[in-house]
Amino acid sequence: MARQDETIWADRYSRQTRFAPIGEAGQRKLAGSSVLIVGVGALGASLAQHMVRAGVGEVRLVDRDFVEPSNLQRQVLFDEADALAMLPKAVAAANKLRGINNEVMITAEVADVNAANVSKLAEGVQLVLDGTDNAATRLLLSAVCFRQRIPFIYGGAAGAEGMSAVLLPGHTACLRCLIGGQEAAGGGDTCDTLGVLSPIIELIASMQAVEAVKWLTGNASAIRRTWLSVSLWPFRMRESAIPSGQAGCVYCGDQQSGRGATREDGEIKPEAEELESSILCGRDTVQVTLGRPFELERLAEQLEQSDCAVTVNKYLVRAQLSSGESLVLFPDGRALVQGTADKDRAVQLCRFYLAGQSTGRPKSKIGALADG
Amino acid sequence: MDKPNWNQFRLYVITAEANHPGKTLADVMEQTLIGGAHIVQLRNKTGSRAEVLEQAKALRLLTRKYNVPLIINDYPDIVLETDADGVHLGQDDLPIAEARRLLGPDRIIGISTHNIGQALAAERDGADYIGVGPVFPTDTKPGRAAVSTSYVAEAARSISIPFVAIGGITPANVDEVLAAGAKRICSVSAIVGSPDPAATCRAFLQRIEAAEGKEAGRQKQLTVNGRAEQTNARTIEELVRQLGQQNKRLVVELDGVIVQRALWAETELRSGAAVELVQFVGGG
Repeated sequence: MARQDETIWADRYSRQTRFAPIGEAGQRKLAGSSVLIVGVGALGASLAQHMVRAGVGEVRLVDRDFVEPSNLQRQVLFDEADALAMLPKAVAAANKLRGINNEVMITAEVADVNAANVSKLAEGVQLVLDGTDNAATRLLLSAVCFRQRIPFIYGGAAGAEGMSAVLLPGHTACLRCLIGGQEAAGGGDTCDTLGVLSPIIELIASMQAVEAVKWLTGNASAIRRTWLSVSLWPFRMRESAIPSGQAGCVYCGDQQSGRGATREDGEIKPEAEELESSILCGRDTVQVTLGRPFELERLAEQLEQSDCAVTVNKYLVRAQLSSGESLVLFPDGRALVQGTADKDRAVQLCRFYLAGQSTGRPKSKIGALADG
Repeated sequence: MDKPNWNQFRLYVITAEANHPGKTLADVMEQTLIGGAHIVQLRNKTGSRAEVLEQAKALRLLTRKYNVPLIINDYPDIVLETDADGVHLGQDDLPIAEARRLLGPDRIIGISTHNIGQALAAERDGADYIGVGPVFPTDTKPGRAAVSTSYVAEAARSISIPFVAIGGITPANVDEVLAAGAKRICSVSAIVGSPDPAATCRAFLQRIEAAEGKEAGRQKQLTVNGRAEQTNARTIEELVRQLGQQNKRLVVELDGVIVQRALWAETELRSGAAVELVQFVGGG
């Protein structure tokens, strides 16, 4: 009765290939391409779904957080079971995406994107899609994209407002030139402070996804060259022209020669780390990065002996502390301290409960986490 | 008060009979009105109440003829009796609140101030205008140290009710006071002691108008986020600061094109420009 797999799935992309600018040739290009999606929260989950359904050959997901009930209102790939199981977002998303399109190679990494790992994560991809929730990580991604000469498709949403732009090495200015680097104040509006409506997520993710499909199918000339600012409530939409690269910028300057002013020499500036400690935390969660990886099982035992209520899964340990806060610990050596926005308090709790687990005192690399 | 535009005044003249021996108060003050004085204050610190009342009645008739407000120094009761437009108080006279209680909400209450603390207090207490001075040493108020144009500049920055610079100001030094930010000038002896008060008033007004012209040259009409905005900001950086947005992460568009953050300080604004300041959206 059952037909062969190839026959069953032959029409999977038929409605997309009938769209003339894509066609069979564009579809083959999609199948041969790979993208990195950084942040698999609201924007990231929607972007991932668009890329996987469209048939992009390889989709890399990276996210530092896990699924919670407050995500379900807008983060389309997650359900109640994911929140109850406290699955990392990258893992939960990959599970769903594999069921949507098994032809796509999907990799999921539970990690914080930083200057140390960003180049490796972006290696070999044709573009980077922005699903992050903070300016610092975006500045880092823009820097690495301009150095590796791959497009960075920015998207941001908060309240009922959103923005999106394609930042194209060789054509446009980089993000740092447009919004200022670490010296510029503020992280911008976030979902923590303004809330966020799911329709603005879908609109902005769609704006990013369509430009990604244009780029990956060889339709670069069709790419929208404007910075889009949208408010859905009240309704307002505005496009601004994006200037070209700025002479003297180490990332987008000197574009005529086809490479950034620094070329191969410099390290990517770790803007993320330097900025992170300044991000306000509306969700009462502080991320503390410890010296070295955790052994989850041993850690769970130790925390139980300290009279904490401990929940464990394959990817993380969560300990409810008697003081009211909770620690969520990932094997890569990160702790999310929930229930405080005070960085000193977060570090103090980590020192107290995680003594002996890492190389001693936690490094001062602390970030506040937005609800992405 | 039936003079809704009284606070548009530029040249404020105060009586000083001792400065014009041989000429009557009414004659001299009419000359100042012919010369274009915008507001007249009767100041008589030595005469009896009956004498002040007589002078007030005379000046009330005169100022009505020229449609100029009359302010009486110190005597709220004479203000009411002669239907003058307001009272001017010194720091040691009755409090503003008391004058307001006596005169009601519509009469003008002004007060002399000699430092920014007094100026802010006067503004807070409901004064309609303040005097700022003495800017230069003056024989009209011997013994009071001059405050210099730095207090004028301070008042221009911090005070939002009308302020009038006073004290030793002459057509020869008025440019300095205007450059410090004064838009209203008061002169006593330089005008009423002049052989030709009308000509002196015209000389003052000419300097004031010249300064206003310079100021107008610096003002630009912009459209900021769709709304008309008048500003003297020279660059985008200055505009962002004036609008109090310097601590936000912004995307700034000038006439349809985003201006790179590093270029804000050198990107000049011209009249008619359309600027959009949009806060960067960071959520995701």
